[in-house]
Amino acid sequence: MYALLVLVPFFSLLALNLPFRELNRRLAFGFAAILFLLQMGLVFIPDVYFWRVHLSFFANIFHFQLAADILSKVVLFCIGLVSLTALCVSRSLIKESEERFNFINIILLAVAGMNGVALAQDIFSLYVFLEITAVSSFILIAFEKDILGLESSFKYIVLSAVATVLMIAGIAILMFIAGSTNFSVIHSALLSQNRNLLLSLSIGLFLSALFIKAGLMPFHGWLPDAYTAAPAPVSIFLAGIVTKVAGVYCLIRIILSVIGFNDQLKGILLLVGAFSAIFGALSALTQSDFKRMLSYSSISQIGYIILGLGSGTALGVAGATLHIFNHAVFKSLLFVNSAAVESQTGSRDIDKMNGLAKQMPWTSLTSILGSLSCAGIPPLAGFWSKLVIIIALWLAGYKIYAVIAVLGSLLTLAYFLALQRKLFFAQPNDEFKNIKEAGFGLIFPAFFLAALIVGAGILSPWILSNFILGFNSLVGG
Amino acid sequence: MANAITVILLFIIGIYCILVSHNLIRVLIGLEILIKAVTLLVIFCGYQTQNTALAQALVITIIVIEVVMMTVAAGVVVGIHRQNNSLDARNIRKLKG
Repeated sequence: MYALLVLVPFFSLLALNLPFRELNRRLAFGFAAILFLLQMGLVFIPDVYFWRVHLSFFANIFHFQLAADILSKVVLFCIGLVSLTALCVSRSLIKESEERFNFINIILLAVAGMNGVALAQDIFSLYVFLEITAVSSFILIAFEKDILGLESSFKYIVLSAVATVLMIAGIAILMFIAGSTNFSVIHSALLSQNRNLLLSLSIGLFLSALFIKAGLMPFHGWLPDAYTAAPAPVSIFLAGIVTKVAGVYCLIRIILSVIGFNDQLKGILLLVGAFSAIFGALSALTQSDFKRMLSYSSISQIGYIILGLGSGTALGVAGATLHIFNHAVFKSLLFVNSAAVESQTGSRDIDKMNGLAKQMPWTSLTSILGSLSCAGIPPLAGFWSKLVIIIALWLAGYKIYAVIAVLGSLLTLAYFLALQRKLFFAQPNDEFKNIKEAGFGLIFPAFFLAALIVGAGILSPWILSNFILGFNSLVGG
Repeated sequence: MANAITVILLFIIGIYCILVSHNLIRVLIGLEILIKAVTLLVIFCGYQTQNTALAQALVITIIVIEVVMMTVAAGVVVGIHRQNNSLDARNIRKLKG
């Protein structure tokens, strides 16, 4: 039944473009929303009812090897959640129905690709699904066909193609060593081998490819441009989930299922993670564009996820996965807020806008919750995942990195407080006296996500105790 | 050995092409050369390990995906040309990275 998660979005994309386009155009929104809601719901269904049911009909036609563990399920839930948010926001921000229909089509394609990435059990299928995701995000970034969107899309295409090339080279060398592309076969072949030059080369190629896709600090050139230049619903989609799945999730999956941890690998991950966490936050401090600040904040938060992974323990990986979920929630929320501010004032410049709290009370309230969760203030959800990551780093003996993580959290608080003070709480500006609150289409998703932040924060002890148990088997002690 | 040298040579040509050229179409050609290099590498690795069936399947998929990616990339380049009337990468530096 795993295959359905990939095949249903894909075939619905085909069905939507068959005859009766008029009817399809009206149905597309509701259909996609139901599909994403179903995907979120499916994650909570016990294994026997859905996940383990085997359909021999599909298995005979489509030879994907797919499987789901707790990590995949968390990512699948995030994919459903963020796609639903982007869909809701697109309803009020993409006015023309034809354009919105195209948007929904490409979102469905991207979701099919990302579900495939989350479920793939073989490095070559992983590559194929990654490319589906990447190609649909190229189109999404250039969706409005303005020069900024096209330019950033071209930048992303070049860097992503280079990442692809590095990845295929890594796959070819792993195939040379192991004679197969299956995760478990390669893993056992690597265990029986000594570390040699060829193996290190392939691991290095894979790591650099995924660092580019994730937008970590030395390779981050495309990320702020793409997030800033893309239309608002696309920014939510890209920042919330696409780079997480294409870069971070793949990295975690490849390391856990194929390569396995060793000291050099942990060293590289910790170094790159700490570098991104600190310098992403420092760059965010100097930005005056709302979306650009959020993009650099994304780089910094991805650094946290990589730090958690770099600790190499079950606790660290659990913290990293929890942070993927939290980041998907609070970063989508903040991008929804930026879309609301942009649609009402027509500008994203933080320095120009002042004191919007009175005119836009709900946007202000939800963005405070999002910022505080991102900065890791208890009892909001972001606090717990950062806490788990820092504890994991400390217990694994990387005390310096734990201190760096705490410092990075302070920097996060600094730039978000500066943002809130300027944008919402300063003395109101005459120019923006007549601003009204954004429409229901932008307030509802923001409220839903804010409720999720508070709810997940309060329920976190329960989530953690159920969560970390699932990870012990995954990391192997 | 000759195969490995060909792959490395193509790789260097591709990287050089991307880094040096200012024309967007040339950047795409550089990417094509890079992808050709790794496709050859896949064939070479399959041949060495007597695993030609797997290598063939992979190569065909790589070619298909490469075509899709290049089509989208060419579309983006056409869009840039329509907006800017120029294909020079030095003219489109509105974003600062």
